[in-house]
Amino acid sequence: MNDKRAGAAGTCFDAAQRRTVEAAMARIIPSDDRAGAREAGAIDFLDRYLSGIDIVYAKPDGSGFETLVGKQANAWRQRIAAVRQTYRDGIVALNRLSRDLEGGEFADLDEAAQDRVLAALERPVRDEERERESAAAAAGFAPPEPALQQIAAEMDLDFLPLLVLHTRQGFLCDPVYGGNRGRAGWEAIGFPGPETMAEAHGGRYSTLPYFAITDEDIAQGNGS
Amino acid sequence: MNRTSKPDAVDVCIIGAGASGATAAMVLAQAGFRVVALERGPWWTSDRFSPDELANVHRFNLWPDPLLNPRTFRAAADEETQVQLFCPVPQMVGGGTAHWTGWLPRMTEDEFRPLSIYGQVEGANLADWPISYQDLEPFYDKVEWAFGVSGQGGVNRFEGPRSRDYPCPPLPPTRYSQKFSEGCAALGYNAFPTPSAALSQPYNGWPTTNQSAFAQQHGDPTGTRGSALTRFIPAAVATGRCDLRPECYVHELTLDAQGRVKSAVYQNTDGHTVEQEADIFILAGGAIESARLLLMSRSARFPRGLANGNDQVGRNATFHEYSAAIGVFDDPVYGWAGGGYASASTFEFLAHSPDRPFVGGCHVAAAGVGIPLPISFALPGLPTWGQAAKDADREFFNHAMAVGLVLHDLPRATNRVELDDEVTNAWGLPVARITHTPHPNDLAQGRWIIDRNAEILEAAGARRTWKVYIEKVTGNCSHQHGALRMGHDADSSVLNADCRAHDVENLYAVDGGPFPTSTGVNPTLTIMANAWRVAEGIAARRGAAM
Repeated sequence: MNDKRAGAAGTCFDAAQRRTVEAAMARIIPSDDRAGAREAGAIDFLDRYLSGIDIVYAKPDGSGFETLVGKQANAWRQRIAAVRQTYRDGIVALNRLSRDLEGGEFADLDEAAQDRVLAALERPVRDEERERESAAAAAGFAPPEPALQQIAAEMDLDFLPLLVLHTRQGFLCDPVYGGNRGRAGWEAIGFPGPETMAEAHGGRYSTLPYFAITDEDIAQGNGS
Repeated sequence: MNRTSKPDAVDVCIIGAGASGATAAMVLAQAGFRVVALERGPWWTSDRFSPDELANVHRFNLWPDPLLNPRTFRAAADEETQVQLFCPVPQMVGGGTAHWTGWLPRMTEDEFRPLSIYGQVEGANLADWPISYQDLEPFYDKVEWAFGVSGQGGVNRFEGPRSRDYPCPPLPPTRYSQKFSEGCAALGYNAFPTPSAALSQPYNGWPTTNQSAFAQQHGDPTGTRGSALTRFIPAAVATGRCDLRPECYVHELTLDAQGRVKSAVYQNTDGHTVEQEADIFILAGGAIESARLLLMSRSARFPRGLANGNDQVGRNATFHEYSAAIGVFDDPVYGWAGGGYASASTFEFLAHSPDRPFVGGCHVAAAGVGIPLPISFALPGLPTWGQAAKDADREFFNHAMAVGLVLHDLPRATNRVELDDEVTNAWGLPVARITHTPHPNDLAQGRWIIDRNAEILEAAGARRTWKVYIEKVTGNCSHQHGALRMGHDADSSVLNADCRAHDVENLYAVDGGPFPTSTGVNPTLTIMANAWRVAEGIAARRGAAM
């Protein structure tokens, strides 16, 4: 992952890295009768995001991207650099584990073997969670559950949870970011999102058809 | 360092242009005062806000960036301190109201008198409010009518007397609010439409809300969900007497020889230091940041921080905590419709009851699960990747809802805001360090109410439920109260009933800082009503023509 070249080319990963990450994403959100991470272009989403600080915030109507300046730009340069480092190290570790457990590079394994490697990568985290849970149970508290309102900061995440987060983002973000291609992710889970960001920005996107009211109520403009 | 400039002195200088600062700026500018409002963050127009889950929920487009404005947290004084985005609130004109859902319940009459009603609780530092529901009612009414709140008066049987109904009828029911209402009806609980800042009908030139899915944690590009940014700031500026200066980071209040606040010193966008003098200073940066500014403002007279002679600044901080029971239904409930918060509520578990294993109680309402949008949707304990995770998303995304609560956490003197010894922000200033351990009552209250919430879901026909108990307070509500407690006793509080510092004659605070207790309801309506009350009090005492 050469930072200078990546910035100039608008990409982050070299071909081998890209192939590894894309293969892992395809197991994190697999393809079945509906699209998975591969069809939704999650790898393109991630590669563009990590290419610099030009694809951080879409303009509110989706017509392009904001230019970051000053302290905010510095913060994002720092964050992207840290996340890229997590990927650089994580890809190496993933392939090492693949060779140790399954005898080949991750991207060359079959799906079942890839799933085993990812599960093994997750295991230390899982074990740690279990330990915490049993300690808490012994102390008479409820087992820990995920917070309901806050999203983990990318810089704080290890490789696998980071990749899971980015895969989900690339599958389900607004298509303006290069993922969720053709709104495939939204269709897969049944979210009738706006046709475009501009539609929602302009106040023309409504979820009233999904309220507990009739079409007549909506047509008459008196949803209440 | 940089050169210091000194603009003309004004009547009132307000630090922070969020919910409370905007309210005070409007009321005082309309009363004839010359006001300068200093806001640390940017001043966005509505069309800068985006329906963008990635930017707003995941990438600090509106949340403070922890690399620029971190906080630190520790459970107790002898525990390790960690950098953490504790209880964040957008730092921009409009503050929390720039991205809120806009639930606007009133406090009940009893919530102003928790000490009298519960008695003191060991390990807590309960206090009655020095003001009553009756003192605040006219101002609740003013804010509700300025915003055009959608609601239905007289339905919530626990609510105090209202001078009149809500200006707009309630929002139409969602499928998840309907499930909640059905569950409550089956169990004999009183329920009511959650009062909302989103407009159910045109009001004061604003159109009816389009009910976007991108509401909770998103700014509103349409102006149909009321905020301090769109309702109070324009009214303040229209007077011609309010000079709102964004991106001005106040880092010190200086004193004059008489012990009055002389000036607010800030760094502007160009990095220049500016000193703004005024007759009156009003803190409105949110409880944490207002306490932090006082603690950063040290002087010979106040070596421990301004107005902190009695070591009360920063203490008794309360933050609520959101948690929920979650249920899944066979039929779709579309938890994202209306952003997941076009809801119904109950106060059945807000009113104190001696029959329960805890004191106090809180607002309970239906909602989508967490942030009920595609990327952020998650259910507790389910796999996060692989075919099973995808299957769960497909099965539950449209079928899951929450019955949530805002924990009425008890004030403790040891739960406090201080300056961190080591960590500084991007301006080189010490950040706020939060020390907080929940009172056992907080955990018991959360547990008992979440059990009831699960029963509501089951009574509504949920086929499976999860209970997410609260273990610690993380600030996930973005509600900040206390730290600048108001009270009659100058030894045990920071402000008097007028929200003026006991020790400093021209210093006020109008954010959540003055709250003696956290209350069981979402705080922003009360914050704005109280700011309006305090500002009118200032205007009355000083006279309109200063």
